[in-house]
Amino acid sequence: MQKRSRTINGIWTAVLTVLSLAWIYPIVMVVINSFKVESAISTSTAFQLPTAEQFAGLDNFTSAIGSQGFLAAFFNSLVISVTSVVLILICCSMCAWFITRVNSKVTKLCYFLFVFSMVVPFQMLMFTLANLADKTKLNTPFNICIVYLGFGAGLAVFMFCGFMKSIPLEIEEAAMIDGCGPIRTFFLVVLPMLKPTLVSVGILETMWVWNDYLLPYLVLDKTKYMTIPILVQYFRGGYGKVEMGPMMACIVLTVLPIIIIYVLGQKHIIKGVAAGAVKG
Amino acid sequence: MQKNIRKYWPIFLLPTLAAFLLGFVIPFCQGLYLSLCKFTTINKATFVGFSNYVKAFQDELFANAFWFTAKFTVVSTILINILALAIALLLTRGIKGTTPFRTVFFMPNLIGGIVLGYIWQILLNCVLSLLGKPLLALNATYGYWGLIILMCWQQIGYMMIIYIAGLQSIPNDYIEAAYIDGATPWQTFWKVKLPNLMPSITICLFLTLTNSFKLFDQNLALTGGEPAHASEMLALNIYQTFYVRSGPQWKGIGQAKAVLFCILVIAISSLQLKLTKSKEVQQ
Amino acid sequence: MKKFLALILALVMSLSLVACGGGSNDAQGSGDDATATGKVYYLNFKPEQDEDWQNLAKAYTEETGVPVTVVTAASGTYEETLMADMAKTDAPTLFQVNGPVGLANWKDYCYDLSSSAVYGELTSDNYALKEDGAVYGIAYVIESYGLITNTALLEKAGYTTDDIKSFADLKKVAEDITARKDELGFAAFTSAGMDSSSDWRFKTHLANLPIYFEYQADDIGTTTAIKGTYLDNYKNIFDLYINNSTCDPKDLAGKTGTDSENEFLNGEAVFFQNGSWEYPALSAKYSDDEMAMIPIYIGVGDEANQGLCTGTENYWCVNKDASEEDIQATLDFLYWCVTSDKGTEAMANEMGFVIPFKGALESNNLFVKQDKAMTAEGKTPVSWNFPTMPSEEWKNGVGSALTAYAAGTGDWDAVKTAFVDGWASEYAMK
Repeated sequence: MQKRSRTINGIWTAVLTVLSLAWIYPIVMVVINSFKVESAISTSTAFQLPTAEQFAGLDNFTSAIGSQGFLAAFFNSLVISVTSVVLILICCSMCAWFITRVNSKVTKLCYFLFVFSMVVPFQMLMFTLANLADKTKLNTPFNICIVYLGFGAGLAVFMFCGFMKSIPLEIEEAAMIDGCGPIRTFFLVVLPMLKPTLVSVGILETMWVWNDYLLPYLVLDKTKYMTIPILVQYFRGGYGKVEMGPMMACIVLTVLPIIIIYVLGQKHIIKGVAAGAVKG
Repeated sequence: MQKNIRKYWPIFLLPTLAAFLLGFVIPFCQGLYLSLCKFTTINKATFVGFSNYVKAFQDELFANAFWFTAKFTVVSTILINILALAIALLLTRGIKGTTPFRTVFFMPNLIGGIVLGYIWQILLNCVLSLLGKPLLALNATYGYWGLIILMCWQQIGYMMIIYIAGLQSIPNDYIEAAYIDGATPWQTFWKVKLPNLMPSITICLFLTLTNSFKLFDQNLALTGGEPAHASEMLALNIYQTFYVRSGPQWKGIGQAKAVLFCILVIAISSLQLKLTKSKEVQQ
Repeated sequence: MKKFLALILALVMSLSLVACGGGSNDAQGSGDDATATGKVYYLNFKPEQDEDWQNLAKAYTEETGVPVTVVTAASGTYEETLMADMAKTDAPTLFQVNGPVGLANWKDYCYDLSSSAVYGELTSDNYALKEDGAVYGIAYVIESYGLITNTALLEKAGYTTDDIKSFADLKKVAEDITARKDELGFAAFTSAGMDSSSDWRFKTHLANLPIYFEYQADDIGTTTAIKGTYLDNYKNIFDLYINNSTCDPKDLAGKTGTDSENEFLNGEAVFFQNGSWEYPALSAKYSDDEMAMIPIYIGVGDEANQGLCTGTENYWCVNKDASEEDIQATLDFLYWCVTSDKGTEAMANEMGFVIPFKGALESNNLFVKQDKAMTAEGKTPVSWNFPTMPSEEWKNGVGSALTAYAAGTGDWDAVKTAFVDGWASEYAMK
């Protein structure tokens, strides 16, 4: 019995190994191709390893970084992600606390609207939102976080509310009796308890904002700013050329930092995702 | 305590609400209104009533996109959830060293739809070309399965994490009790694990359903709707109607389509939530 | 407690400051001092010339202090970008339409140029886009396209460009090269890529020929119902392209414009259907003696006297809704582009344009010179009729059908349907 289950487990491990190799292959393929010269990246040769003459060294990387403002796009993406996520975390947790602790028609309506906004597809407001953001000057990487706060509030508030309901009221009441005002109660008592949810929401929102394409594409002032996904789209057709080599290098350069961060913090990330889903 | 907090609404509620108003409520209402207008820019909109909706319903491409999306959503939702659950079951069997697998399966979630779409376009085109088959842009069936493979690759890891958390939260006593009663692993799965997994299933179905239905980036990058709009999903169809078709009449039609799309998504997701929620057991 | 409240308030304040102030720092800051003189925002249609426009804009700003922003839409997305950008507060002050059909969509946004200085510089009124006595657009470039030929390779195969005077000649030469492909080491045609970066060469430019000959035969300039009289000839030339090319027709769907250009640059093929705008890229590798552009023969009409396809689909329009200063700045910029030494020099040599303005310089573009020579010999250039194509949607429909046909997943009837029925149904929607 014992032996049998060990062999079965062995088989499953082998299956999983093969499966996970297949899972990372597409990324490996991009990495391989990013070292090839342009003409060697064609439809039928994408799987081949570069030969000596096709090996481009770091040329694709230098041209990806050098041209088309890769660094600026990377910086924009970074600024947008960091400011938006921080803003969403602070504002939405405060908002969610207020909604759960104050019981009134207004808060109920707010909650309903937030949940409603979660399902609404972006296409519904793509034009009007871009228009409004343009009029209110929210079309720069530094201000677009307000748009993200507005459009991303639904999910964050929903998740925070879900968790907030499970926090016992007594702790907060005790803090209030001890003379803490609502603000201190929230930041000194409630927020520390929220830490796991903050991580969950933070991860989800970061994944969304960092990878978002259509919203920044329509909202941002294109004459000045690009983000990474927009840049990749541009490599694919901008300026009348399809530059596969630099595009591959650009993909590698964008994907690698995320993977490194992920591998370093995977415990928290996976836990965060799981916790977020169960609470939601 | 309530009263105490209520006074602080400008600090707690206002920032989010103001942004929400700006980022959602106002554009949403404007969008509703514009679906009844003919316009190129907002300041030059003329009211035309429901004719945009009539034209949207008459648009064959919109109907095609709907059926394509529906087929895609059904198949991808089922496949993703079954495979994710299967992998989750495997990873909770007590095999040693499962963390690296978890790490790898989850990874594609971190990469954006546009990038994923292009990676898979290159990969699938290469496979098809080596097999001597027409490329993705030529055959809607390949485009369809390409999208499904892509979505499975991306979403399975995420759903797997949720299922694993769900499986781990099932009290061990239940499973032991079933084992003592002589239940086979198969019976244990159906009678004990699955009912207790319902909350996870609800959330996973919700996520896969809405993600698949609203899919845009991957569709744009992988097939771009080729050939001749045959692999175009609703979100892309709306975008195309709105921005790619030239002529002032199209924007209004695009906005009307977006409203219809919105109603559809809300209807489907609330129906699904109702159906699966009713099956959840109270613990 | 109070401290904490202050802190939070400060945070909220600073956030709102970022929201309002951040914008004025970078966006308005430069805008404020510019409003005195106005500014120019040019949404450029031609990706090939993006860099040249950027340089020219910089030169203008250096000379006059007027800021000029040039943004280039990714290929195939001009309408999309224009549509999105016109809705913005900083809308383009200068954009372009492709002719009467394009103008119909944007007429409400076009400034009447009839009293502008740049209109007075036009060499002929034919280059103005007029409607009801108002001038809405001004053509700024006349271009030619045809079959760019690598004459060195052609000679190696035993022919010269003089041997190709009709479709039958072209077919003979191309098929002979294909038959000896392994021995020669090159193919007849570069890949007819159907990726969006390249499919316009066939769905728009090549499709112009059957339309042109049909218009000629019926003696019309535009129509809402095309008959497709010469679609068989369209099929013949397209067949010739895909069956005598560097790659398997099945792979064409994924081939890009860059692939095709690289094939020509690497000497993998003799013929490359493209236009005079390719000259800057090709002249970096080949001298003028090694290249030539020959007409695209499809076996219709007086082939002996057929010239290159020459015309325009590029009309400058000025945004009526821009502020007065911006409109003036834009008009000044345009005038400078077509009259100043720097402007005409850049347009003639760097961009390789022939511009229909009085101050135009002689272009050093080989293909342009050949077009002139052919016209001087008495050949009739084929006019550009694709501005009369009903919509982008029509072009995409034909493109998809062509792609499927090339790969063998669709048949020619689908192309016919897209061409003829698509034309009618798209016009019906206007």
